[in-house]
Amino acid sequence: MSRLELENVFKQFGDQVAVRDFSLSVEDGELVSFLGPSGCGKTTTLRMTAGFESPDSGSVVVDGFDVTDLPPNRRGMGMVFQGYALFPNMTAAENVDFGLAVRKRPAAERRARVAELLELFGLAHVAGSYPHQMSGGQQQRVALARAVAIQPGVLLLDEPLSAVDAKVREELRTEIRRMQVQLQITTILVTHDQSEALSISDRVVVMNHGAIEEVGTPTQIYAEPRSAFTAGFIGAMNEIPVRVISTSGGVVERGGKRVTAPVAAELNDGELGLLLVRPESLEPLGPSSGSLNGDLTLTGRVEVQTFLGATTRLLLREVPAAGDRSAPPSTRLLAVDVPSASAGRWPAGSQMEVRIPVKASRVIAGQSAAGKPAAPANLDA
Amino acid sequence: MNNPSITGEATEAAIAILPGVHARDRAARGTGRTRRTPVWATVVLVVAAVYFLLPLYATAAFGFSTGKHFTLQPLFDGLADEGFHSSLYLSVLYSVVTTILALAVVAPTAYLVELRFPRLRATVEFLTILPFVIPPIIMAVGLSVVYGINSPVNLIASDWAPVLLIGGYFVLTLPFTFRAIDNALRAVDVRMLSEAAASLGASPTRTFLRVIVPSISLGLVSAALLAFTTAMGEFTLASLLGYATFPVYLLNINGYQPREGEALVLVSFFITWAGVIALAVIARKTPGTQIVRGGPM
Repeated sequence: MSRLELENVFKQFGDQVAVRDFSLSVEDGELVSFLGPSGCGKTTTLRMTAGFESPDSGSVVVDGFDVTDLPPNRRGMGMVFQGYALFPNMTAAENVDFGLAVRKRPAAERRARVAELLELFGLAHVAGSYPHQMSGGQQQRVALARAVAIQPGVLLLDEPLSAVDAKVREELRTEIRRMQVQLQITTILVTHDQSEALSISDRVVVMNHGAIEEVGTPTQIYAEPRSAFTAGFIGAMNEIPVRVISTSGGVVERGGKRVTAPVAAELNDGELGLLLVRPESLEPLGPSSGSLNGDLTLTGRVEVQTFLGATTRLLLREVPAAGDRSAPPSTRLLAVDVPSASAGRWPAGSQMEVRIPVKASRVIAGQSAAGKPAAPANLDA
Repeated sequence: MNNPSITGEATEAAIAILPGVHARDRAARGTGRTRRTPVWATVVLVVAAVYFLLPLYATAAFGFSTGKHFTLQPLFDGLADEGFHSSLYLSVLYSVVTTILALAVVAPTAYLVELRFPRLRATVEFLTILPFVIPPIIMAVGLSVVYGINSPVNLIASDWAPVLLIGGYFVLTLPFTFRAIDNALRAVDVRMLSEAAASLGASPTRTFLRVIVPSISLGLVSAALLAFTTAMGEFTLASLLGYATFPVYLLNINGYQPREGEALVLVSFFITWAGVIALAVIARKTPGTQIVRGGPM
């Protein structure tokens, strides 16, 4: 258990900047995820933390000691790799024992520790098996047990679940969190899977183009994204054009109706902005719906229904309100999540009116979030 | 079978059980459908078998014969010959030293190229195949000039003379040893295994000896066999540099006791094959030689 600090870390490969001005403090026993698309620099940052890459500038500090120039084998960090990296010539038990043998621990202590860890990870029955005789999930458990065996100050997980199938992935991520909380190991998890990051992290670092886009708790990142990139990258997000009437007063207009909403400071009066709202926040309106209470409405034609289990996602093409000159209709399909039991009320081709809960939304500058092409690309998650 | 070299057959056989080739064969078997063997394939097989087996038969027919009937006497005479013992001892000694040298130099070099200096791969590969381009006779002449009696570095007339031959053997084995070890290294994810070992506190030396070497053991066994058989069967260098090694002895004895010579050629051939079969058995029984890869990288 250690405190890890990355201070102004910078790394360039050729003329390509991989990581720029990365600064982060990870507290004792905290699990922090680095989340971002491929090539955003998250793995490079992790590898610099581990010592497999040297930063061009900046430093890596563990418990107040600068370890930037220490080789990986002297940093005392455990690492789990995407491809397991188990030693193929050793059994599960021998793999777990490897780090203890390197540290020349007494034989009795090693045996006890290996047995304890194999038990903790549910691997006792494969102790004598070689990696190629084990399933992907078992191999990754051995890799975890091996990394934890040396009681590392910091545990680094490099996309540890991307090579296992979906069911095992869910089991393992819960197990990782359980183990991490139980052993109180300071942990960094690199992942491109937002559900993985949101479900088991204390904090999430969203990265883009080598820089930190945003740091926050999973709830903050999901519910109150501060950047357009985060909003577009985390979960599904609708972007509805609105005209900013007053930035300071938080007044926006759409469909001839003016309402108050949280407006980003960089927007100027009279500009078009994008109102961000999650699919589950859009509420279908029916004859019995209550007053609009200062919210906006939007009418669309259902184009596609996607069954997601408890909910069904409806993709709407907006039907422009006649004579509305305040804001153009949304060019992208809008996602609305409704309980699957009631989804039959809106078959493909039918019209649907939804309430946009304006006060729970945010209005940001009017470029498409994350620079993504037209929907439904950002509605998959 | 007047050519005393036993390298060719052994090399081909050993290459056939290199890890990479093994894996391809397994993959082919896994995906292949059962089909009837076409007639032309059988014909090619028979012709090839005759081509390879006929000289063996001729050697046996000549070596184990009095000219009229079968006898093992030439074999017993050959085995009892003093020259046979001394030349075989010399060849085995030099071949073992060459093999150890080849493994000790090539394995760490190939590992470092794979891990630290991937840009040097093309250069190193080129250097290792030079013996295919430069004939042994050129090497022999070169070595005689550079290290001969008229040279300031006169190795030939010194106690260090065997170094010259072993060095030459080492160079001649490079195309085989480098390829065998490099194939094995590329079949395992050397970088990831090395990083995993480092993250667990292992030094680079420990990582190489405890993780990498066991992971490529099959490649090392192949390389060892290839180095050993190449050195055992080498004739040109030994002959021109004046060493009475086993192949040189075989050629000489063929001149004055041809039946004994042919009987011994056949013995050496079967000894080599026993080695190849032993290697195949070791390969099957080596634990953890299966490639372990996680998934998308």
